[in-house]
Amino acid sequence: MERRRNQSVVNAAYTILGLGIFLGLWQWAGKSGAAGPDLPPLSDVFATLRDPETLPLLLFSAKYTLVSAAKGLFFGGTLAIFLAAVMHLLPPLRPGLDRLAVLVNATPPIAIGPILIVVFSRSQTPAALAGIQVFFIFYVAATSGLAAASPSLRRVLAGFGANEWKRMLYLEIPAALPQLASGLKASIAASFLGAILGEWFGAPQGLGLMILNAMQNFQIRLMWAAVVSAAAMSLTAFLAAALLEKFVSRRFAT
Amino acid sequence: MAGVSGAAIEIRDLSKYFVPRRGVMVEAIRRISLSVAAGEFLAIVGPSGCGKSTLLHLVVGLEQPSSGTVRIGGAVPEELVRQHRLGMAFQDSALLPWLSLQANLALPFKLAGRDINRERVQSLIDLVGLAGFERSRPSQLSGGMRQRAAIARSLCLEPDVLVLDEPFGALDAVTRRRLNIELERIWRDNAITTLLVTHSVEEALFLSDRIIVMESPGAIAQELQVPFPRPRTPDLLRREEFHRLADQITLWLEP
Repeated sequence: MERRRNQSVVNAAYTILGLGIFLGLWQWAGKSGAAGPDLPPLSDVFATLRDPETLPLLLFSAKYTLVSAAKGLFFGGTLAIFLAAVMHLLPPLRPGLDRLAVLVNATPPIAIGPILIVVFSRSQTPAALAGIQVFFIFYVAATSGLAAASPSLRRVLAGFGANEWKRMLYLEIPAALPQLASGLKASIAASFLGAILGEWFGAPQGLGLMILNAMQNFQIRLMWAAVVSAAAMSLTAFLAAALLEKFVSRRFAT
Repeated sequence: MAGVSGAAIEIRDLSKYFVPRRGVMVEAIRRISLSVAAGEFLAIVGPSGCGKSTLLHLVVGLEQPSSGTVRIGGAVPEELVRQHRLGMAFQDSALLPWLSLQANLALPFKLAGRDINRERVQSLIDLVGLAGFERSRPSQLSGGMRQRAAIARSLCLEPDVLVLDEPFGALDAVTRRRLNIELERIWRDNAITTLLVTHSVEEALFLSDRIIVMESPGAIAQELQVPFPRPRTPDLLRREEFHRLADQITLWLEP
C-alpha cells in the first residue's frame, strides 16, 4: 500500500513536470519567435481566452461542439451496444455485421463527410461524424465485454436453469461493464475529433468552425484559443471517464 | 435428524464419447449402469481422467449422453434443471464477484423467478457458519469460506439432488478436513440425494453411504457399502477400521 501511494506520487510529479516543460517550451518558443509567427506565446493565448470580446464567442462555440460530441457519443454508443447485444443473442448475424463495422471504421471521416451532409444536414453532421467515430470502439468493447464472463460462472447459471435473458441480465452485462467503461474512455477523444472535423463541412457554429475561420483570417491567437478550449474540454471529459473506468473495473472485475 | 428426501437417480447403459479431432474418438464413459436411492449419499472416486466429472456432468444435464439414459425421479436432467431442482457446487466456487455473499445466495431465487426467501438465505448463511459475512464480497472471503458459500447457494432452492464435483479440491488439507466435518453436519440437516466426486478416499469414507470406484476409461471397477453409522463424528477419522478401508480403496485405485 505504501509503495503504491509512493508510486502514484511519483507519477503525479512526473506528469506535472512533463506538463510544465511542455508549457514552458511553448511560452519560450512563442516569446522568442522560434517557431514562427503561427505559434504565439502561451500568455497571449490565455489573454485572448480572458478577453471579454472573445470569451462569449468561445463559450458559445464550445457549447455547440460539446453538445455535438455528446450527441455523437450517446447515439453512436447506444447503437453500438444495442447491435452488440443483438449479435450476442443471434450469433449467425455476427460475421456480416463485424465486417460492416470494420468497413465503416476504415473509411476516413473526411471521405464520408459529404454523405453525412446529405443525410443529416450541415448542422447535425458534427454529431453524426462523432457518432460514427465512436461506434466501432463501443461495438468492439461491447462485443468482447459480453463474452467476458468466465465459463465457470456460466456453468453456475446454467445449473440453476437460467434462460439466456436472465444470463445476460445477471451475468453477462455486469461482467461487460469494465470493458464498456474502457470503451467510453477511448471514445471521448474520438467523439470530440469527429465533432470538430464535422464542423468543417459547413456547420453554423462551433470550435471547429472557429479554428477554421480564425486560421483563414490570420487571427492566430484566436485560433489557438479555440484549440486550447477544445483540448481542455476533451481532456476534462477524458479524465472523468478514466475515473469512472477505475471505479467500474474495481467493482465489476472478474 | 431431518427426514430422508430427494429423488432417486437411475443410470442405464450410459455411454459418452468425444470426438476432439476428426477421426479420433475418445470414450469417456463406457456403458455405466447405476442406481442411487432417494436420500443416499454416493461418493465417486477414481484416478484422474477416469471420467468421474464427465459422469457428473451427464447426471446434471451439462453434457448429453451418446447412448443410454439418465433419469432423476423419472425425469430427464434437463427437465429438473428447467424446474431449478438441482443443486451443484464445483471446485471453483464461482460466486459472482460483484455481489455480496447475501446477494449471491439470493441470486438462485431471482434466476428461478421466485421471490427471495430472506429467511432461507439467512438460515443457510448461519448453517454454513458464515454469519456476520453477509455483506462481504467473495474477494474478501477465504477459499474455504467461498466453498461454504457455494454449498449454501446450491441448497437455496431446496433441490432434489445435490451434486458436488471436488468441492474441496482447491483447499489445503486442514481446511478440507474441517469442511468435511461441516458438510456432514450440513447434510444431516438436508439429507437429500447427493453425488460427490472426490480425489480424497478419506473424504468419501467419512461422508458417504456408498462408494463407487471408477477406472479409466469410464467404467465402474468396485463398489463399497460404507459400514459406519450416522451421525459421523471426527473421532471416526482415527479408528483403525476407517484406515483399513481407506487403504483398501486406495489399493483399488492403483492401476
